[in-house]
Amino acid sequence: MDSTSVLADRLTKYSQNRVWDPHTTFEWPEQLTEGSWCMSPELISIYGTDAYEALDESQRKKLSLYEVGNFFSLVLQGERPLVQGLIHRLYSKYNTPSVTAYLHHFVDEENKHMMMFGEFCRRYVGKVYPEKKMVLPREYAKGEEDIAFYCKVMVVEELGDYYNAVMARDESVDPLIRRINRVHMMDEARHLAFGRQFLAEMFEKFRKEWSPETLAGFRSWLSEYLRSSWSDYYNPSMYRDAGLADGYELRQLALRHPVCTEHRRKASAKLVKYFLDVGLLEAEPSFVFSAA
Amino acid sequence: MQEPEVRSKLRAWILSHAKSQPKSGLTDQTLILEEGVLSSLDIAEFVLYIESLRGDEVDVESLEPRVFANIDALYSSFFADR
Repeated sequence: MDSTSVLADRLTKYSQNRVWDPHTTFEWPEQLTEGSWCMSPELISIYGTDAYEALDESQRKKLSLYEVGNFFSLVLQGERPLVQGLIHRLYSKYNTPSVTAYLHHFVDEENKHMMMFGEFCRRYVGKVYPEKKMVLPREYAKGEEDIAFYCKVMVVEELGDYYNAVMARDESVDPLIRRINRVHMMDEARHLAFGRQFLAEMFEKFRKEWSPETLAGFRSWLSEYLRSSWSDYYNPSMYRDAGLADGYELRQLALRHPVCTEHRRKASAKLVKYFLDVGLLEAEPSFVFSAA
Repeated sequence: MQEPEVRSKLRAWILSHAKSQPKSGLTDQTLILEEGVLSSLDIAEFVLYIESLRGDEVDVESLEPRVFANIDALYSSFFADR
């Protein structure tokens, strides 16, 4: 049995032992805990800027609600095409039965995450922030579409995992929000373990058939995708909802600010190292972490 | 904001984010996605910029890709009736 199938069997057992119901796992209070942070301050997108320093604590805490709403919305919006893509790949001829069996759990867990994030955003933020992306049809080399798909999975899950880990252990964060982050992180640990191995094996298999131009084009796309994903964390609507003026200018300011740049580099470090180790990237995409 | 200013700002944004320079310069009829001047990954950021110019949000879910075809299409889709 190949190593991905062995891993998939193991992860299937973990998932079977950790089945949870989004309807009973959480109690949804009328209001979040007064005085708590909704997102760890150091994760707030404008943290470290003069604009953040100019806010008083109550304004910062208000912003933290819309920031966590945007974060949960981003993960939810990333999980929608993820589930669509996973379902499309169920019973693919490229999958062993073990992989297909695990993908069923993957889909199930992602669906629960969307219910969990959707419920939070509806109750406490009043909406799920819409995504502004538009996918256009394009041609792919053999295997490229699948590899691009799993790269997108890794980006949404690895960046999400960094935020989950910080908030899950931060006692200043509202208990419900900590719990949501913890529940998500535990499922995602399995998804990431699977994704890392499956993607690496798939890339190793198909890259030999790619021309140097295809490989270079793919690496360039991946860097761009990472940059674009980070840019979603700086949402002008979220600043506006928190009562901050000039949301677009604030976003541009934060994207260029060295503290925010360093935050993106730190939060992406594990993901970028993986892409470099596997060969999906050739060098750290420095422009991802510089001014927009 | 008057039409020439909006078009000029759209042109400037596109050029500052261009992956490749259009062969015969950027006009309001240049096919910005088809010619690879911008990619689909630029659309989300471009939409945020368009929202900042309009002062109003854009519902991307209701849009067709053709509204991003060129500056003429962008202007008529997002600014002409405002």
